[in-house]
Amino acid sequence: MAQYLPVVTLLALAVLFAALSFVASRLLAPRNPTAAKSAPYECGIVPSREPPERFPVRFYLVAMIFIVFDIEIIFLYPYAVISGELGAFGLVEMIVFVVAVFASFVFLIANGALDWGPSRRLRRVDPRVSAERTTATTVRRVGLDGREEAA
Amino acid sequence: MTAASLLAADPLLAGKVDLAVVLIVALKAVIVLAFLLVATMLMIWFERKVHADMTNRIGPNQAGPFGILQSVADGVKVFFKEDLLPDRADRFVFRLAPFLSVVPAFLTFAVVPIGGNFSDADGGVIELFGHRTLLQLADPPIGVLLVLAMSSIAVYGVMLAGWSSGSKYPLLGSVRASAQMVSYEAALGLSTVTVVLVAGTLTTSGIVAAQHTWNWNLWATGIVPFVVFLIAATAELNRPPFDLVEAEQELVGGFHTEYSGVRFAMYYLAEFMNTVTMSAIIVTLFLGGPNGPVLVGPEWLWGIVWFFAKLMLLLFTFAWFRATLPRFRYDQLMDLGWKALIPLALGWLLLMIAIRVGSDEGWNPILVMVVGVAALAAGYALLVLAGRTARRNRELAGAHL
Repeated sequence: MAQYLPVVTLLALAVLFAALSFVASRLLAPRNPTAAKSAPYECGIVPSREPPERFPVRFYLVAMIFIVFDIEIIFLYPYAVISGELGAFGLVEMIVFVVAVFASFVFLIANGALDWGPSRRLRRVDPRVSAERTTATTVRRVGLDGREEAA
Repeated sequence: MTAASLLAADPLLAGKVDLAVVLIVALKAVIVLAFLLVATMLMIWFERKVHADMTNRIGPNQAGPFGILQSVADGVKVFFKEDLLPDRADRFVFRLAPFLSVVPAFLTFAVVPIGGNFSDADGGVIELFGHRTLLQLADPPIGVLLVLAMSSIAVYGVMLAGWSSGSKYPLLGSVRASAQMVSYEAALGLSTVTVVLVAGTLTTSGIVAAQHTWNWNLWATGIVPFVVFLIAATAELNRPPFDLVEAEQELVGGFHTEYSGVRFAMYYLAEFMNTVTMSAIIVTLFLGGPNGPVLVGPEWLWGIVWFFAKLMLLLFTFAWFRATLPRFRYDQLMDLGWKALIPLALGWLLLMIAIRVGSDEGWNPILVMVVGVAALAAGYALLVLAGRTARRNRELAGAHL
């Protein structure tokens, strides 16, 4: 375990550095908070509602899928170190292992678990938003109605 | 491979740990800390200068020659700035988060070998005050895993900073950041496995020693893992073109919007220190570390010179990326990470394993290649099919909207 002594030393030094910086700032910096300064940042507007505590469930999904992959990677490391000794047996085992993970990965993608962004609409019933629309045909020039005749 | 190379360790700490050894360790730790701080200061200046040149500006030019002391001036200024604690913040976590971000940035560098001659059997060992040691702070038997662990801990610093601020934009920024860092960590880990496979060891000194005589992992692993690692590292560092974490048009400042004064400076420092450290890790894993030809003068000096030359090249590349590439959209970012880099790294790893095992067992190399490429093509076809299915289902679901 002595090999970790330098890491622990550096850890102590890094924590000390950060802590001393905060202490120095506390001694040197001015301190006069006002209500406006310590309100949540809202681009200069007075915040009208509570900050959100919920966010899209997709972020949780990514975290859960990551756990599967992280564990897979952790299993790959010991194999990579001794792959030369295991030979063909190790290769077969690895292929079986990776195929199992890959199958679940393909299932996830086919299920749309890793899709982001808004879902595209297949067909739209509203004729004003048909596929033939271009900017030349649909951009409504505000205020031009009736003016062309007048000009 | 022998058991000795598997358990390669710093000979300084192999025997009895007495006062002299502890003092040497402390000296090395102080040097690494000072080096990292100076390197980070210079990297901030260097990136601003390069970015300014590339966008036809002058950049910092007032503090010191060529403005080289600009970061020092900024650092001093920040100590005199008010350090606000928002009303709605979780006070303990808000104070804790900068530590979680800046400490891992320091620790990763501990396993990077910055010099030494790896061409002989000694494997980079040098003599320091009558003790034999490696020119790196620590050489634990799980060096590469330490790097990955530290990059995982850095996610907590970002996530907790945004969550504890009690504000809208930091929360959104940190949720984005953690999903992004977590996604690209998988690709980062998978491309590193290929390096471990080629080197046969997890210690960084062993990986560097396996790359002497120009057998750099860059081509020993066949370029692909290097490209995957470089892209994943850029995303892991939240650097452009993957800086969605602080996409200022959408999220103000991202997870550190509510941070000011020296706490904000800690995040800034950690970001650039991580860039320096990650470049050093790429040099170690793929570009042969301090390996290089000895021209004139002492051998030990050339290792350090080559290490820093390669480090500068990568730092310039990161600055170049920032000046050149426009930012990704979030769905593009996630698609690149999950649907391109992870399958690519995994497939390439299997191909490498098959080729290595095949050459050990004396299989026909052409047959191994053909079967391997066919298997990868089948996997790719499955992925494309899955992507199409997902898109069709989404369009069908969208039709009801």
